[in-house]
Amino acid sequence: MEEQIAKLTDECAAEISAAESESALYSVRVKYLGKSGKISELMKGMRDLSPEMRPVMGKIVNDARTKLESLFTEKGNALHEIELVTRLASEKIDITIDKPHPVGKLHPLNAVRKRLVDFFVSMGFDVMEGPEIETDYYNFEALNVPKDHPARDMQDTFFIGGNMLLRSQTSAAQIRYMEDHKPPLKMISPGRVFRNDDDATHSPVFNQLEGLVVDKGITMCDLKGILESFAKHFFGKDTKVRFRPSYFPFTEPSVEVDVSCAICHGEGCRICKGTGWIEILGAGIVNRKVLRTCNIDPDVYTGFAFGFGIDRIANIIHGIPHIKLLYENDVRFLKQF
Amino acid sequence: MKLPVCWLKDFAAVGNATPQEIADALLSVGFEVEEIIYAGEDIQNVVVGKVISCKPHTNSDHLHICMVDVAKEILQVVCGAPNVKTGDVVPCALAGAKLPGGINIKAGELRGVMSYGMLCSGKELGVDDTVIEGAEVNGLLQLPKDTPLGTDIRKVLGLDEYILDVSVTANRPDCQSVVGLAREVAASLGVKFTPPTNKYKTVEYDGEYMPDVKIESDLCSRYTGRLIKDVKIEPSPEWMRKRLRLAGIRPINNIVDITNYVLTEIGQPLHSFDVRFINKGIVVRKAVKGEKITALDGKEYILDDDMLVIADSIKPVAIAGVMGGEFSGIMSDTASVFLEAARFDRRSIRITSRKLGLRSDSSARYEKGVDYTSVDEGRERALSLIYKLKAGKIVDVKADEGEERPKEKIIETSVSQICSIIGIDIPKQNVEKILRSLDIETESKVRSDKLTCTIPLYREDIEDFADLSEEVIRYYGYDNIKSTFLKSASCTEGGESAKDRKAGDIKNLLCGFGAYEMMTYSFIPEKACDMLRLEAGDERRKVIKLKNPLNEDTAVMRTQLTHSMLSTIALNLSRGNDEFRLFEFGRKYIPIAENELPDERMVLTLGFAGKNENFYEIKSAVNAVLAYFGVTYSVDYSKEPYLHPGVSADFTVNGKKIGSCGNIHPTVKDSYGINGNVFIAELDLEDLLDAEKNEIKYSAISRFPCVNRDLAFVVKEEFNIGDLTETIRQACGADLEQISLFDVYKGEQIEKGYQSVAFSLRFRSLEKTLGEKEINTLVNAATERVKAVYGAILR
Repeated sequence: MEEQIAKLTDECAAEISAAESESALYSVRVKYLGKSGKISELMKGMRDLSPEMRPVMGKIVNDARTKLESLFTEKGNALHEIELVTRLASEKIDITIDKPHPVGKLHPLNAVRKRLVDFFVSMGFDVMEGPEIETDYYNFEALNVPKDHPARDMQDTFFIGGNMLLRSQTSAAQIRYMEDHKPPLKMISPGRVFRNDDDATHSPVFNQLEGLVVDKGITMCDLKGILESFAKHFFGKDTKVRFRPSYFPFTEPSVEVDVSCAICHGEGCRICKGTGWIEILGAGIVNRKVLRTCNIDPDVYTGFAFGFGIDRIANIIHGIPHIKLLYENDVRFLKQF
Repeated sequence: MKLPVCWLKDFAAVGNATPQEIADALLSVGFEVEEIIYAGEDIQNVVVGKVISCKPHTNSDHLHICMVDVAKEILQVVCGAPNVKTGDVVPCALAGAKLPGGINIKAGELRGVMSYGMLCSGKELGVDDTVIEGAEVNGLLQLPKDTPLGTDIRKVLGLDEYILDVSVTANRPDCQSVVGLAREVAASLGVKFTPPTNKYKTVEYDGEYMPDVKIESDLCSRYTGRLIKDVKIEPSPEWMRKRLRLAGIRPINNIVDITNYVLTEIGQPLHSFDVRFINKGIVVRKAVKGEKITALDGKEYILDDDMLVIADSIKPVAIAGVMGGEFSGIMSDTASVFLEAARFDRRSIRITSRKLGLRSDSSARYEKGVDYTSVDEGRERALSLIYKLKAGKIVDVKADEGEERPKEKIIETSVSQICSIIGIDIPKQNVEKILRSLDIETESKVRSDKLTCTIPLYREDIEDFADLSEEVIRYYGYDNIKSTFLKSASCTEGGESAKDRKAGDIKNLLCGFGAYEMMTYSFIPEKACDMLRLEAGDERRKVIKLKNPLNEDTAVMRTQLTHSMLSTIALNLSRGNDEFRLFEFGRKYIPIAENELPDERMVLTLGFAGKNENFYEIKSAVNAVLAYFGVTYSVDYSKEPYLHPGVSADFTVNGKKIGSCGNIHPTVKDSYGINGNVFIAELDLEDLLDAEKNEIKYSAISRFPCVNRDLAFVVKEEFNIGDLTETIRQACGADLEQISLFDVYKGEQIEKGYQSVAFSLRFRSLEKTLGEKEINTLVNAATERVKAVYGAILR
């Protein structure tokens, strides 16, 4: 009987080894270890043995069983691995195909506007949006531009009638803000403005961002500090800021602000028209008359104001050649940013 | 302002500074030079040559073969001019030359004879008799015989000059003149400034007619006049004509040229009247409404009673400061001139000029503001030029009406106050030096910070210390300003408004729907209302109109954003972009009352285009937006005239319609030229954005298993599936976690007029595992309810 077991074990081991699939292996298992398998059949012959031989033979049979079980497991794992690899290989797909699923995007102007707002908000600036249709008072008079003043020629304004017009500058919001808030104050006002000007480089609608700080002891140096920080944030950390004297009725002194050209780093290129500098905004110390108009004592408080075109900043950042592209809304354009 | 460099040099000792250096100096003190113009830009490689021999061309009846001496060489040139002859000194364009009008000269054969250049006429060089005598003859421009051969023709024609086109800011009318800018250039470069000196002699007054002057309106603060007799009208000298031309002014005759010369140099407009046509004195008065005058431009103008005129005892002879009358101007036989130098109110001139649509160099200058002193300086300058040019005899009689010379403004300030807004300490000596270089006298005591500044009358823009700060830093240099970071400012609370934040959230949400944000103009054509088929009484037809629109397409402020959306969709489709989603967040402008600011309301539009789009796609986006605000709404078929009546919905929130979405009405599609599958939506979000948004509160998530059941009902087509769904939801109560439609079928197996509607239901309780029995009870409740309400039969 011992021999029979050894023979059966060898036979079974050979068949395990020869099995080529998991199902073939399962058949071998049934054949030897199943309920009426060969080993089980053999076990039935145990009752013919003498009582002292039974435990001995039992151990032999069990050892054989254990050995075969581990062979089955080993072979089973190996076959499973092979079949898995085969299946996975057969499931391979072409990964170079794309299924378009558009993710929408903000308009580049608004994306830039959001970045600008976040930047100033991080420094404690309040955000205010004024009306786009304004009165002459807020757009001009309170900003020290009386009726029929030549400074009005600086901006071609759309008029509606009565005292109303389409605001030509976000500076209008300054006055509204200072009527409602007293210093210390820091605010920005981003928004749409309108000028009766339509050619290759001008759009009758564009977006500005006005900034205003009023507090005790505010100076041109503070203005330069804020604008330098702004310029470095948006045009790169090596960006330099230059002030040039200018004139705006609502600031005194007034400056035009240039930043060093981010494209050529001051060498001179097409973007900066060879000067190495790009004009980006107008600014200055808030005119004492404007503070007085808003019931803020100019002998106690001083402030600075600045204003720039968001369109221009967006165009510089993204290298957009024409302002008109921004308002055309060709989807191929909108997808780019 | 066109500033010829040669003219500037009369007053500012700029030495050999290049035009670029002068432009840089101006820029550094606040005067942008828009362009540096070279007067001879159009002409290159044209020199003075002498015709040393001239033979007829054997192969032509009018051409000549000339040998021309251009100093460096002798050239053979074929010439077709009728007046060419040996000994002529003429302009000779060399091979490679450029002439006005973009003409390039090359060496070439003319009827078999080589020509190495071209002899030029005045016309070919773009000049006329005012530039050089003989320029307008038919044929070659004959130059003086002693002109050095080989000289660049631009030197001979006075075109070897640079002109700076300076942009002068509105606060500096005093710099609308050569002298004013020369003062700034001199101060900027630190060189000497010499104001013009005026010398002339007068002849005794012997009783000839001299109009006396009366000012009857405070729009004229000063009026002075002088009498010039024995006037001889002739062309002004070459140097004066040249300068006027460089400044962009056409020379006319000596008297007119002198007034223009002074306007450019001093910045004072002058006017000369022929005394013959001034009847019994001059009155400066307001016009009578309806009064007429024919101006020098030959046109008749009807005046208003807010306009100022210069009149004699009978009629207006000039529109004050704007233009003279046609019949009182200088003529070729004018013998006596009344020369006016006056100061008119700048607002009045501006209003008059705008109302009449009549601008002149004079009105442009007056609009910017003329100061007290320039009246005298301008007049004296003109008189000295009349004397110098021997244009007439200055009679020793004066008219001088109006205000006395005002006192100079005194500003009491201190160096520390001047520096306080600049933020850096500038030494007192620098401050004083800068102010003095600008003609601002300063007085101060040793070891005192205080400054007493006397402001010259022409600096009307300087009102207080802040203006002095600007003068100081302008010259001290903005580069000296150090950056500080709000070192004395208080901390402030900033941030976006809740409204902006909500708008931002909505935009992000729509980006998630694959929609791109667009931005369009706020003004649209008035015909948009018709294109959208809005009814006659539609509120959206009440638009705010622009008084001065760019064109018809941008004439009215929008009362809806759908027009902009449809136009943008049409543009994209026409460019072959056929599948896209767009959204716009913008304002509409709803008039409230006359002379009251309108209601500006935030509106959202959506546009979905492409073959895979349908009503439910856009509705789901609208749902998502409304869900963001946490509001409940109801829908009904839309009444919007621009939408398809059967494939569109109006959305009502709190009893108020806030918008619609749907397919576009076919007629509207045609109007916009839209050809494709397009769905749009417009929502007025103003109220929702304004409303306080409650914070979202957690609702419990069940930990028990769910049971899914599918149910299909056969129901009449006329019933809405939305209502059916709601009924099932109500019948099942809180344990119905989710119900979703998965199939609607009409066809063979279903009776006509009926549809099969299949739902997936998911049941789950917050308290326990639901058993079979409980699920069946709920399903039965739902089945019986829809049977009772809609007659729906479970399939």
